[in-house]
Amino acid sequence: MPIDPRFVGKRYGPFRYEIGLEKMREFALAVGGGIPSPSFGSIPDDLNPLFYDENAGKSGPYGSVIAFPTFAVTFAIAPFAAAVSDPELQINLLMLVHGEQQFEFFGPMSPGDVVTTTGSISEIFEKSQKDFLVFVSESKNQKDELLVRATWTAVIRR
Amino acid sequence: MAKQFKSGDTFTHVRECDTYRPIYYAAASGDFNPIHLDKAVGEMAGLGGVVLHGMCTMAWAVEAAIKYLGDPGKLRKVRVRFSRPVAPDDTITFQGKVTSVDNGRLVAEILAKNQRGEEVLKGATIEADVG
Repeated sequence: MPIDPRFVGKRYGPFRYEIGLEKMREFALAVGGGIPSPSFGSIPDDLNPLFYDENAGKSGPYGSVIAFPTFAVTFAIAPFAAAVSDPELQINLLMLVHGEQQFEFFGPMSPGDVVTTTGSISEIFEKSQKDFLVFVSESKNQKDELLVRATWTAVIRR
Repeated sequence: MAKQFKSGDTFTHVRECDTYRPIYYAAASGDFNPIHLDKAVGEMAGLGGVVLHGMCTMAWAVEAAIKYLGDPGKLRKVRVRFSRPVAPDDTITFQGKVTSVDNGRLVAEILAKNQRGEEVLKGATIEADVG
C-alpha cells in the first residue's frame, strides 16, 4: 500500500544525545578494522590518532578527539527511525531498504557535546512499484550550532 | 607546507568485510537489525545470509577520502546510493578521483567495487574544504 503523501512535513523529535569519548573511539575502531572495545584487540596502525588519542586531539586542529564523520548516524538516525516505525505511516519494516544517504558536516563532533536532532519527512513518492520516503534531519549542539544535516532515503519494496 | 589538492588526483582504499565486521559495526553504531547478525533472517529477507550495514560501506568510502585529505575535519559532505549488499568475506576497493577544486572546495567521486567488480555504491561523492 502506498504511503499517504499527506505525511510530508510531519516532524519527529527533538531527540537528545550526549557524545561520549569511548563511543566515538569504538565507532572509529569498528570502521577502521579494529574491535569496538576499550579492552580487547589493538588499535589499527593506520587509524587517525585524532579519533582516539587525547594528546593528539589536544594538540590537533580541534583541541580534542573528534568523531569519525559518519559517527553522526548513531544519534542523527533517531527521528528517521521514529518516522519509519510510526504506526500512522503503516510501513512494513521487513520490506524497507536504505536506498540513499547524504550527510553535510558543519563542524567537528567532540566529547561532551550535547546534540539535539529533529527532522521531518520531505518527500513521499512511488517509482517502479516501490515507495520512497525521504527524510531530512538536523543535529545541533548545546550552543545551538548546526553540526550535521542528513538526508535519509528509505525504499519500501512491495 | 600544506598538502596541495588538485583536480585529477586519485586515491585508493581497500577494506575486507571479515566475519565479525557486521557485529562490530552493529555494536558501534547501535543498528542491531537482525539482517546484519542472523543468517536465518538474512536468508528469509532474500539476502542469502547476513549482510554488512550499508552505512559501514559508506564509512569506508569516507575513510578513503579522509586518508587522502589528511584531516578528517575537512570533510563537508558525503552522498551515496546503496546499490548492492556487502557480505562477509567480500573485499571492497574504493577508487577516488578529484573532479574539481574550486575556491577551496574539493569535490571527488568514489567508485566502490567488490572482488567480482560489481559496484556496491553508486554516485558516491564527497566534498571537502581545502582552502
